[in-house]
Amino acid sequence: MYGWHLKILRVNLTTRKVTMEDVDPKIARDYLGGRGWAIYYMYKEMDPAVDPLSPENMLIFATGPLTATPAPTGNRYMVVTKSPLTGALAHSNSGGDFPTWMKRTGFDMFIFEGKASEPVYVWVNEEQVEVRSAAHVWGKDTHETTDILLTETHPEARVACIGPAGENLALMAAIMNDKHRAAARSGVGAVMGSKNLKAVVAMGSKNPPLYNPEGMRELSVNTSKNVGADVKKGSNMRIYGTSYVPQVTNTLGILPTRNFLQGTFEHVHNIDGDALKDNYLIRHTPCYRCPLSCGRLTEVPEGPYKGKGEGPEYETISSLGTGCGVSNLAALVKANYLCNEYGLDTISTGMTIAAAMEMYEKGYLSEEVIGMPLRFGDHDAMIEMIKLMAYGKGFGKDLALGSYRLCEKYGHPEIAVTTRKQEFPGYDPRGSQGMGLLYATSNKGASHMEGDVAYEEVFGVPVKENPLTTEGKAELVKHFQDSFALIDSSGLCVFVAIRYVFDKTRIIWPQTLAAMMNLTTGAGYTPEEVLKAAERVYTLERMFLIKAGSGPEWDTLPPRMLHEPLPDGPAKGKVVELDKMLPEFYQKRGWDEKGYPTKEKLMELGLPLA
Amino acid sequence: MLIRVKLIANYRDALPAGHKHGVVELDVPEGTTVYDAISRFDIPLNDESVIVLNGLTVDLNTPLKEGDMVTAFSAIAGG
Repeated sequence: MYGWHLKILRVNLTTRKVTMEDVDPKIARDYLGGRGWAIYYMYKEMDPAVDPLSPENMLIFATGPLTATPAPTGNRYMVVTKSPLTGALAHSNSGGDFPTWMKRTGFDMFIFEGKASEPVYVWVNEEQVEVRSAAHVWGKDTHETTDILLTETHPEARVACIGPAGENLALMAAIMNDKHRAAARSGVGAVMGSKNLKAVVAMGSKNPPLYNPEGMRELSVNTSKNVGADVKKGSNMRIYGTSYVPQVTNTLGILPTRNFLQGTFEHVHNIDGDALKDNYLIRHTPCYRCPLSCGRLTEVPEGPYKGKGEGPEYETISSLGTGCGVSNLAALVKANYLCNEYGLDTISTGMTIAAAMEMYEKGYLSEEVIGMPLRFGDHDAMIEMIKLMAYGKGFGKDLALGSYRLCEKYGHPEIAVTTRKQEFPGYDPRGSQGMGLLYATSNKGASHMEGDVAYEEVFGVPVKENPLTTEGKAELVKHFQDSFALIDSSGLCVFVAIRYVFDKTRIIWPQTLAAMMNLTTGAGYTPEEVLKAAERVYTLERMFLIKAGSGPEWDTLPPRMLHEPLPDGPAKGKVVELDKMLPEFYQKRGWDEKGYPTKEKLMELGLPLA
Repeated sequence: MLIRVKLIANYRDALPAGHKHGVVELDVPEGTTVYDAISRFDIPLNDESVIVLNGLTVDLNTPLKEGDMVTAFSAIAGG
């Protein structure tokens, strides 16, 4: 077999038993890889009703068939587990170097199960696998941990690890790799912490054999050339990363501001991509084999927020920045560094602090409870809250539960802007209706990374779609969800995938991506087949959610989105018209009117009926 | 009548010096359309650009009114 190694490394942390297993080639083909393989194994082996922080939860690191191939941005992996934040599925994607190094161990996927009796890390050097004590790095941040573990394993290895936030089971803890890259969302770091697994270190030289190496090289070079041509024209991504986006969403009136109380931020110029470029940018810094290179090394050279690191990205600016009403760029950059070092998802961290700020301003939370005043725009208080969250100290213990549980605890659940208990990313769906349907139905709760129709509604990629209308959005969201499941299963990054390996039509079509999958694996997929496989993955995830207790009853939006019209900007007066889209969405998915996949749909996809 | 044009991120290079946060004010004749206003600047006018009027998706042949803001940015990447 090609592309896939068809090998899984399984580490039982309770018994410290390490096993190496073969993957059935038919399962490999039908579930694509990455996110697809992970849900296949989780659904088969695990009771979806388990406590996410118990030893019974599985923690899966999964690469795709295109990871570690010449495909541009073939550098991704997925972390898949049951989320302690949402109670639904977590599938968080990350790039950098680690995923490629992981695939080169000769395994496509690592499964961690059980719970170690004391802190450990797992060192995978091809088939030499060791479960080692991590007592000496427990409590250390992600940067220091990475440096120490590279010293004691191999300087050319790569590390994925948790920081204090994961150790302390903060429900928005991330798993950081290569110091600055994050499998961020849904609390995957807390699951790792609950297993006493501090880090995974990987290296090897087993590049997956390709079915048609010449053909794959040629297609990859041509695709990279297309990216390069855009970079030459001055692609925003190389210069700004995603930090230019606040100006775009502010123009459209969908920039989350002060916990979604507003859709525009009056100080956006202080914290946008130009401010970052003019003040703190050092240079761009790519993930492995990425011609786009959206990462940026930055530095605050002096003052109280002195520091050096990567970012912030748009999603951090719209959560820790505008979401909290913060307009001090140096403090925002510092807050981003701290989240990376502590191992925190910046979106859920920022929007949880934003919810606490709103509660404080409305008198629902006192200075006594918080330990200090917490007004919108108070960047020093925000930084203090991040520290408390990471270490679970004082009010940080409540914040580390996420905004849904925080607001519920203090009697004001209407303040939390979440679906499936996960905080919204940086697109207010009242002015981007398709995003509203996406958030309401995502298997991982509110997320832009599970079918980001903002590409069309906001960015005009590949075609411009009116963000304020609901017509046709059910079909678009369904198609984007399946397309993202495909990308997440393939091992590519969405930034390159959406624009360069799909046809540029409204209903994006994976012609080039299917060709890459075939040249890599020899599986002979048609574009229809890879999309059908992605739909299989998406639907099986939905079945997992139903059994986990996060089924159709959670396909909704918080009251602010449904009943409080946007007060400002171009989308002023709008709420999300979810009822106009949801029934049609179920129909397009082949689910019944209540949102359950029909027997016919399950049979069509070759999925188990129960 | 006076209208404003705002160009975002790399498109700002197409603006004359002295703009504030990517915004310039133009005095244009009645009947000027979104397309007329934006085509004064050296940016692609095909599907590589997103052009909105007061933040809203409109036909580029829409005539402008006093105080309108036309905004353009590159569709080359995404967010």
